[in-house]
Amino acid sequence: MGRTTRRVATDVGGTFTDLVCFETDQDTGASRIVTAKSDTTPPDFEKGVLDVLERGGIDPSGVDFLAHGTTVVINALTERKGVKVGLVTTEGFRDTLEIARGNRPDFFNLHYEKPVPFVPRHLRAELPGRMTYTGEERAPLDLSGLPAILDAFRAEGVEAVAISFLHSYADTAHEEAALAEVQRLWPEVSVVSSHQITREWREYERTNTAVLSAYVQPVAARYLRRLDEGLASRGFGGRPYIMQSNCGIDSLDATSRTPITMVESGPASGIWGAAELGRLIGEPNVLALDIGGTTAKCSLIENGEVRIMTDYWIERSRKSAGYPIMVPVVDLVEIGNGGGSIAWVDDFGKLHVGPQSAGALPGPAAYGRGGTEATTTDANLWLGRINRDYFCGGAIQADMAAVESSIRSLGEKLDVGPDQAAEGIIRIANNNMVNALKLVSLNRGFDTRDFTLLAFGGGGAMHAVALGQELQVKKVVVPAAASVFSAWGMMMSDLRRDYFVTHLVELAEGAGNKIESTFAETEAKALATFAEERVGADRITFLRYGKFRYQNQEHTTEVLLPEGAITDASLARIAEDFHKTYEREYTYRLDAPVEMVGIHLVAKAEVGKLEMRPEPSGGSDASDAVKGRRMVDYALEGKHEATIYDGEALRAGMALKGPAIVEDSGATAVIHPGNAVEVDAYRNIHITLEG
Amino acid sequence: MTKANDPITLEIIQNSLQAAADEMFAAMRKTAMSSIIYEVLDMGTGITDAKGRIASSGAGIPAFIGVLDKSVQTLLRKFDKPSDIQPGDVFITNDPYHGGVTHLNDLVLAMPVFAGGDLIAWTANIAHNSDVGGMAPGSLSGEATEIFQEGLRLPCVKLISAGETDDAVMDIITVNSRMPDFLLGDVWAAIASVRIGARRLEDLALKYGVTTFNAAMESFAAFGEATARAELGKLPKGTFELSEEQDDGRVFNVKITISDDEFTVDLRDNPDQDTGPTNTSRDGTVVCAQMVFKSLTDPDTPANDGSFRPLKVLTREGSVFHAREPAAIGFYFETEVRVYDLIWRCLAPHVPERLPAGHFSSICGTFVGGIHPDTGRQYTIIEPQLGGWGAWEGRDGNPCIFSGFHGETYNTPAEISESRNGLFVDRMELNTEPGGEGKFTGGRGLRLEYRIRTNSGFLTAGYTRSRIKPWPLEGGAEGSGNYVEVLKTDGSQEKYSFVSGLPVNTDDVIRIVTASGGGYGDPKERDAARVREDIKNGLLSAERAAVVYGVSI
Repeated sequence: MGRTTRRVATDVGGTFTDLVCFETDQDTGASRIVTAKSDTTPPDFEKGVLDVLERGGIDPSGVDFLAHGTTVVINALTERKGVKVGLVTTEGFRDTLEIARGNRPDFFNLHYEKPVPFVPRHLRAELPGRMTYTGEERAPLDLSGLPAILDAFRAEGVEAVAISFLHSYADTAHEEAALAEVQRLWPEVSVVSSHQITREWREYERTNTAVLSAYVQPVAARYLRRLDEGLASRGFGGRPYIMQSNCGIDSLDATSRTPITMVESGPASGIWGAAELGRLIGEPNVLALDIGGTTAKCSLIENGEVRIMTDYWIERSRKSAGYPIMVPVVDLVEIGNGGGSIAWVDDFGKLHVGPQSAGALPGPAAYGRGGTEATTTDANLWLGRINRDYFCGGAIQADMAAVESSIRSLGEKLDVGPDQAAEGIIRIANNNMVNALKLVSLNRGFDTRDFTLLAFGGGGAMHAVALGQELQVKKVVVPAAASVFSAWGMMMSDLRRDYFVTHLVELAEGAGNKIESTFAETEAKALATFAEERVGADRITFLRYGKFRYQNQEHTTEVLLPEGAITDASLARIAEDFHKTYEREYTYRLDAPVEMVGIHLVAKAEVGKLEMRPEPSGGSDASDAVKGRRMVDYALEGKHEATIYDGEALRAGMALKGPAIVEDSGATAVIHPGNAVEVDAYRNIHITLEG
Repeated sequence: MTKANDPITLEIIQNSLQAAADEMFAAMRKTAMSSIIYEVLDMGTGITDAKGRIASSGAGIPAFIGVLDKSVQTLLRKFDKPSDIQPGDVFITNDPYHGGVTHLNDLVLAMPVFAGGDLIAWTANIAHNSDVGGMAPGSLSGEATEIFQEGLRLPCVKLISAGETDDAVMDIITVNSRMPDFLLGDVWAAIASVRIGARRLEDLALKYGVTTFNAAMESFAAFGEATARAELGKLPKGTFELSEEQDDGRVFNVKITISDDEFTVDLRDNPDQDTGPTNTSRDGTVVCAQMVFKSLTDPDTPANDGSFRPLKVLTREGSVFHAREPAAIGFYFETEVRVYDLIWRCLAPHVPERLPAGHFSSICGTFVGGIHPDTGRQYTIIEPQLGGWGAWEGRDGNPCIFSGFHGETYNTPAEISESRNGLFVDRMELNTEPGGEGKFTGGRGLRLEYRIRTNSGFLTAGYTRSRIKPWPLEGGAEGSGNYVEVLKTDGSQEKYSFVSGLPVNTDDVIRIVTASGGGYGDPKERDAARVREDIKNGLLSAERAAVVYGVSI
């Protein structure tokens, strides 16, 4: 074996810290995959990362590329473990954070509780000074009150300051001046201003974003610094890259400045993996489905491009308005439906699955750790879909007595036998997921028949065929090593930054220059930041998007702009692209003036990502991979004797037919009667639904 | 077990009905031309069974959920011949005397859904259109005395016949509007919405069969009814009565009788209908009673026909709550919110664990228009306001959320308002006037200031709960009042609760102030630490803390 390249991805989850290492022989391209797991170690999460490297036998000094994803930010937010924040804002607007948008999603509930702001009123201070929406100064910024404000913050034990002024998206001068003055007066304090994170309008959303970023910044920065030092002290020669919510990775230093950008770093890596895999196997239109222990996440990828938006909210549901975070996040729908989701019967005899989860403790009844409530995993075991003798890759002895008693007791409440109860759990869970998949596809005017369903995570392959049949997708693909697919996605990521800037321009004569200059300014800023990190301009590619609407409308439609400088001559084509995109999504177009509300610039640079090499086909005979046969209950299609295949023994070119089960240590693919399966050159399995 | 009574299949169909109603809502929201639809979300979507009984509804405004079934039932009575209703038809109404329920601005569209030649369901949609003609821009005028002055009346007619648009009707609708482009855009958005819903329902019926589809709707309604009846059983029995003086001096009365199987709201003893536009239709009054009943019995699950079966509403034709044609009805919403609050207030002292103290309880409908100084185009603000909500045992009321009438509705950010409307938003903050004190305090209302940038603008507003303030519970203090002030450049200042077409000019400031909610419990019992926190947060003065709460600093 020649020189190997070692790429490592580590992922800090709520319970476990995962590691995946790809060792690639530079001469043959052959890869070896190492995976390891260790406990997550709050509050010193970096310790878990160092532990898992050791457990996987990885010597940091031999690692060429290290990417890291973490739930540290989202945990600090949802568990309210950030620091005390003081807010400095425009005179007359100290209550923006508390007024929010005034909506009552749970509208028949007269005891609705509006989300409480992260900064109490006495820590929300005002300064005089106003910009207009076009970025002109209407009243100068008066900083004379700032020392007293900061003294009061100090006295209250504030550890981070957020600055957010009206219209700072249009002109940043006031925020920059206030930022510099805070740094001068109180050098030790952590401080962030809203324009450093976003240049979009809507003062509540932008202010809340700045506040939440300040809230997590000291915690996240400390974590990243210790991780960096810990890795260096063990001989790692590079710097780790940090997975972001926009499907890209970013440098550790940039992430430390505004760590709020990694709020959805976990789901983003899997969705990016789906986009990359789609490109690799010639399926650019992908519905990505990631089913984990507590939730299922789905996202739509069109033409190989993920959709990045800034309309992201935490804790938002039918019961609560939640909190906005205006950072680039991959467009995804997440529902409380995973392997550990609990099935329950309400007072009126209706069956529900989720969103409550049995978690890791007690876990599903099958864990034998005292769980008495049936979960989706228990139903899958009962129906023979999961191998009861190879549960969790043989790591756990499935407690089938506990499974039976949990499912029987649920069945009694429904007045049905255990088989029907278990089938019911699977069908309700599938229905929940179908509705989530429809939200990202049919509801947005995309025809699911044009898409490939790519299912991963521990539970994706178990439900994918049933969901694919319901949505009539082209086919279903289950990637090799589906349970660690998210980590693979992290290794396929580029260094990526998404810039959103609000700049309202009517698409009429003279608009070309205005639009071009907004892009040019933003691109120059992006290049300068990359240059500081020694990433040269030659390695950077830009994608330019515009956000358009008809005059008088509010909601915008994003359109990819043509390459090259934008002039008035490009406007007609841009307008036509907008009309077309709008019509696809909303079924009609209008003969009305078009406005650009803002730009979305993507800046990307490759930083040594993994290259996959195809494996030659070894023929279609899959009999070497057969492990045996067992009865499997397919819910709607009833019970069938299925052939069981060892997923790790499948090789390129092999073919098989349903009813079948493909299982490996981390995931189980349920192949329904009538399905035809082929293994591709990267050992992904392609399931054709009507074989 | 046959497929039709398999509970899992029924559950899946019910979930899919909910998803279809939500999808109809999303389609309408994204395609609408009027800001009152796409932002304020003054709209609703719903699905009824073949007989017009509500089966499922989308997000939006609770006050619109009970509207659509009444519209469909009216058109079923009108189109009662076998061939009257065909696949591909779309019907339209906006007239409260012909199934429209609210006022002429609200266009209701309904589409029949067929499977195997049988009518199996309806999809329907309601939205506030910016202008449907009438004597005033925006069609709403405080001066109207007859419905004829409030716009074009569409008394349940066919807009699309078997897929063919009736261009004559469409032309009549558009030519009657001052904003024909907007109206046309919004009507097509509504058509797209009912069609999308109909397509989803056809797929469902095809997949599961009509019998199962119908069984699912029936079991859903039975579930709603069972929930309502179970909770009804837990309410105190008897007759409860309340008479309440209004801002304008009239007295409104309600008698509520709760028995084991019925919840009767008697509104017959009320003033005659108004000569102005503040009347409501009987259907509108029923919707208000339904909203309180739903909040009281089952706030958690989506509403359907079964949810309201134990409810009975008695009204007197010719009264303010049951207007007789051709009474004007444009400002029906302030009358509806009054009767809604009246029912709520009547019962709250008897079930304080289910109903909080009174909230600002007004739409606070605010209309500002003029010329945008930067674009030269006309701008019009049509917006409801945020306000304070009442407290309940264990919790202070919510500050600044929409009234009980609005739900998943959003305010307009100052940054967007300044750009779209060409005025300055000088302040948008909590109203810290005294009011709503208690062991648990009422939530704070809003103080919002618009500084006008061009001459010849106008202000129209209609707020109630201005003189008669939000009511407290268990010894708390009443909230403050809703009002609007105009601060002129010459230093003069006028205060209003109802004002129509008031001229405003450059640098005039329109100050909108909404009420705090009512307090709950004796202020003297408030935790002293919370009183000190209120002082620290600038919500209470130290002097007042000493007087009202007996807490000195």
